[in-house]
Amino acid sequence: MNSQKKVKKIYEFIRDNLYFNRPDIEIKGERFNSTMLLAIITGLNRGKALIIGEPGLGKTTSAEYACSLLYQYPLGIIWSSEVSGHPEQTEEKIVGRPDLGKLNRGIEEVVWSNFSQLPVKIVDEINRLPETKQSMILDGIDRGNWEYLNRIIINEEYCLFATANYQDKGTNTIIAPLVDRFDVVVESKHPGPSLSFMISDNNKENMLRNPLYEKKLEKVLKTKMPYEEKLPQIEEICDQLGDHFKKELGVEALGHQERRRIESEIHKLEFDMDAGAFTIMLIAELSFCYKYGQKRSDEGCDEGCHYTGYLCHDVKNCASNRLPSSIKKYSQAIAWLLGNSNIDIEIVRAIIPYTIAHRIQWKEDFISKREKNRRADSLQIYLAKEAVDEVFHRYGEQKENIKHAFSVGFRILNGEDLEPIEGDHPVYAEIKNDLNYLGDV
Amino acid sequence: MKNPFERFKSYSSRRKEIPLDSIIKSKDMVIDKLVAGYEKVVEEEVKSLVWVVERGRLMEAYSEAEEAIADIDYKAEDIEELCYELDGNERLPYLITGPAGIYISALCNHAGENEITLKLGELRRKMHMIGYRLPSKKRLIIEGDMGNFVGSHLDGGELILEGSARDWAGAGMRKGKITIKKYAGYHTAEWMIDGEIRVDGRIRGIGKVVNGKIFEMGKPVYPSSNHLSSGNDSFR
Repeated sequence: MNSQKKVKKIYEFIRDNLYFNRPDIEIKGERFNSTMLLAIITGLNRGKALIIGEPGLGKTTSAEYACSLLYQYPLGIIWSSEVSGHPEQTEEKIVGRPDLGKLNRGIEEVVWSNFSQLPVKIVDEINRLPETKQSMILDGIDRGNWEYLNRIIINEEYCLFATANYQDKGTNTIIAPLVDRFDVVVESKHPGPSLSFMISDNNKENMLRNPLYEKKLEKVLKTKMPYEEKLPQIEEICDQLGDHFKKELGVEALGHQERRRIESEIHKLEFDMDAGAFTIMLIAELSFCYKYGQKRSDEGCDEGCHYTGYLCHDVKNCASNRLPSSIKKYSQAIAWLLGNSNIDIEIVRAIIPYTIAHRIQWKEDFISKREKNRRADSLQIYLAKEAVDEVFHRYGEQKENIKHAFSVGFRILNGEDLEPIEGDHPVYAEIKNDLNYLGDV
Repeated sequence: MKNPFERFKSYSSRRKEIPLDSIIKSKDMVIDKLVAGYEKVVEEEVKSLVWVVERGRLMEAYSEAEEAIADIDYKAEDIEELCYELDGNERLPYLITGPAGIYISALCNHAGENEITLKLGELRRKMHMIGYRLPSKKRLIIEGDMGNFVGSHLDGGELILEGSARDWAGAGMRKGKITIKKYAGYHTAEWMIDGEIRVDGRIRGIGKVVNGKIFEMGKPVYPSSNHLSSGNDSFR
């Protein structure tokens, strides 16, 4: 069985036995549940996903199931590594603590937490962490480095899931730099009454639990040996559990080598021309300001600006450089899963709303015009989908001219004596800016 | 630094033409031809620097217009677009509203359609001579206010002006009907030979009328025993 089929089988196994929910996204004729699909993509491709939703609708469990099968960890170990968001959370519980026995003897050693050691990282209810403590996990999330007492462990392979409830008395705002580090946001929705009722019949969690392997793994994780030496032992136990899953559940989990091979296959996939042009067009709308050079959170739009019809007029902040990375990372993985030889515009269009929904701060006017519309998604995801549809519509009207403008831009920078292509969209102005600034390429 | 447009280097700009493109292209071609015809007429007419309305001159300009449009395949809707092109295009050097009106009238008179509606309410300049020599069986409806000589030398057609006309409306008309929904200016119906002019608003002054019927605000003012001295360009 090839790896795509294996991953699809994992998706189907979870869909049929563990996480019951309705499909709510269709890509190239295949229908998926967005939460489960993005959880699997996040696990496969070292992603960072923020899962939002009402309490009890499977935000955490969707991530747990996906990671258990993608990484061959029993649920009990995943639970033991989870960080729960509450105001009293400390660095010692999240990252590691001093080895008190050795400290009494004057030796500084760190006992690393399961959270920092496991490739699967789940932060439950991240918005219950006070804002100051959220920044504590920023570095770890960004680079896979966990530091304590001048000691460091480096996760070569990791993915992050954080869940967040909607705002209530106990929640805080997730700080902007942390929000931007999440590649995608997705809502774990109510499955509907019939599927919800089925959930009560199912003793499903036991499927992915195994006390024997949980004990074995816990023992290795607690061993006071260098982290690098633990990894092969952990891998060996995980492979044994993978065999157990295959034998008992009929589903093949992914081993370390296979995950690495999949990752390298995923990274080979490139945007086709339309997907690339559309993505650049969208980024232009989310970062462009004719008057002030770029969007800035503390600067507004002037009355009567020529570009009022574009998203730059509807957003407060500027798209970060992490946005294109997130779009590419998730589009590549979807394209790989669907067996595509490259990333086409349909994939990009389906993925982008989940990559911008949490990053974009919309102006009140944009929100108020749409918030009462009939919709199936949470407001932020709905607004992102609306915005992407708008840009997609514009791209459909101008795509030939835009691609032509890019190709002429390429030729000008290569020394040909041509005039940049004119057009009514921020992207044309940005091409001219590139030509002005990069003229000596 | 790397060329940021690298991924588009292989793009060849073979622009896919959709049906709308060809419609727009053919429409643009028609308008271009009509503008070229107008420029030809105007070139002849500006030689004397001052354009004077006199019968011989009008006939000459009208013949030149007929000649200029003879080979152009146009539709009534193109005429309206041409009016706005003439009105709004700064590159046209000779927008002289008299010859322009003659040219537009020639287009209306030779159009395939028997009923033509021109929505000209947004024109910045008032066009003169609209409806010149409108022949029998043609119905021309104009929305907006027009300049001088509306419907002059009308030749059996029906002209309805949904607005006001300036001076000399219906001058020299031979037959047919002119309806003006608002006001008419001085010298209305000057040298009118026959036909009917109805003005729903006020007429500022009636010119020297030979024959025909004139109504002002629904009431006959010519022929009428108490109409104010036709032939004296009566002030009303």
